[in-house]
Amino acid sequence: MSVRRRRRALEALRWASLGVAVVVLVVFLQAQRQSVDVSYGRSPSSSSAGGTTGSAGESSAASVPSVEEMTALVAADPVVRLPGSIARWNEQRVREVIGSTDVRILVAPPGLDEDERKRLRDVENATVLVVGTEVSGGFYRAVADDLPSWRAQFAVGDVTGPLLTLITALQDRPAPPDLDELTTREPTARELAVVAADLRASGLHCAAGATLTDVPAKTAKEAFPDGAWFAAFPAQRDGTPLPRYGPALAKLFPDQPIVVLHGLWIEYHGPGREDFAELVEASFYGQFADLLSRSDYPQRNALGVYLNRVTDVRYAGLFDRPLPYRPADPLRVALPALPWVFAACVAAFLALSVRSLRRAGGGLRGRIAGGPHRGGVPARLAGLTALAVEMSLLTDVRSDPALTRGIVRLQAAREALGEELPDRHVHTLLAKAANELDDAARTLGIPGYRPDIYLQGRLT
Amino acid sequence: MAQTLPIWLAGGLLLVGAGFVTTLLPRWRARDRARRTAWSTARAEIDGAAVSRDAAATRVPEAERLLNRAELIAAGRGGPAAAREAAEHARRADRLWRGQA
Repeated sequence: MSVRRRRRALEALRWASLGVAVVVLVVFLQAQRQSVDVSYGRSPSSSSAGGTTGSAGESSAASVPSVEEMTALVAADPVVRLPGSIARWNEQRVREVIGSTDVRILVAPPGLDEDERKRLRDVENATVLVVGTEVSGGFYRAVADDLPSWRAQFAVGDVTGPLLTLITALQDRPAPPDLDELTTREPTARELAVVAADLRASGLHCAAGATLTDVPAKTAKEAFPDGAWFAAFPAQRDGTPLPRYGPALAKLFPDQPIVVLHGLWIEYHGPGREDFAELVEASFYGQFADLLSRSDYPQRNALGVYLNRVTDVRYAGLFDRPLPYRPADPLRVALPALPWVFAACVAAFLALSVRSLRRAGGGLRGRIAGGPHRGGVPARLAGLTALAVEMSLLTDVRSDPALTRGIVRLQAAREALGEELPDRHVHTLLAKAANELDDAARTLGIPGYRPDIYLQGRLT
Repeated sequence: MAQTLPIWLAGGLLLVGAGFVTTLLPRWRARDRARRTAWSTARAEIDGAAVSRDAAATRVPEAERLLNRAELIAAGRGGPAAAREAAEHARRADRLWRGQA
């Protein structure tokens, strides 16, 4: 009984190991699809691309005269400044580059609509067109591409660099080197005191002429969770040196994040400046300088987008932020062990399969050892053989054929047993042999030799 | 992960191979056994018929023809169907001779 139970347990183990192996294989294959996803969390900044710029908040009060008027103006004067225009440049350097060639510059205000810009483009005798601080001419458009140039462009409206690049490009000459045209000065103690007092009181200073009225509170909170101060100044368009409030304020409040706006130029001063300020400025102006240069946005809109960019950079993990906690993934932990679990299951399944196959093969030994429940085939064969031997002493001509046929059948049965053929087949052969012997016994007239009776006497 | 790839491949192949072997091996064995059983029966019938022929009083051409054919089939060593056919022929021949005896 225990043998059978053990055999059944082994069989269950065999199929269980196969099942585990298949499951492990499937898990392994699934794991191959897993992508590596390392995130510092999703930035809460509202769409960083649009922000509050776009069509919203753009003032388009500016306008330009008709094409004919402008053509006449440009014909009369090499440099025409339309009312409201803001661009300025280093006159001397530009004159030097122009030299004796005929270059006519038309300067228009920012914030024009598409129709007005088309009118400007139709002024054919203007070599260079400056809309806001966007410089174009012929097939070209010259843009600033580094932080000093952007600062000069947006803080004071200086377009010397792009202008020189464009003029030399139109004349197929090498461009002169970039020079920082921005002149700056330290703010006086009195100016600084006013700003500092405002900042201490409310965290916000809006100088006269600044277009910042309030700070988008939620955006500011996301960008600077510890709170930041904001100081807004108008663009310095009169050519006087720009007072650099940023460094002065940073010296005054070393641990306080301060955002300083000069016109549309936005810079950060305070803790962590070297970690991200340049990156944010470069990415912000790299993306939006084009748009800001020809449009006339209030400072608040530009600041909102700038703050969103700061939030994005913060969430990109580029400055001191601990990694978010990641619970250990059980699959990742188990993955290295899976091949070995799989190999073990395969080995177990193979071993048990071989075992079961060998057992199914059986064998004569197993059949004899199987005992009476096998039907006692060998014993019956032995008994009938003994009967045949006994009868062969007494046969006569009439019983001879039946006895011989019986012996032939017995021989076949013995061979079948030796070849390990199924019991049922051996049994059939033995039954036929017994029939023949029964025939012979009846022919002889000796009831004691009839197989049933003979075997009963033998076996009991 | 790359160095475990052979384990997966070899393991998978072994599993598939073991599946085929465990399915096919018993089937082959059973078929072989059925063939040998059928031939064992056929040989027993032929031998039995041969004894009846020797014991018969007269010749029975029909039975001889049947036994001949059975022996021919047996010499050809076919499958279980051939064995059954041979056994049937031998049995009929045996019956004919016994009727004569």
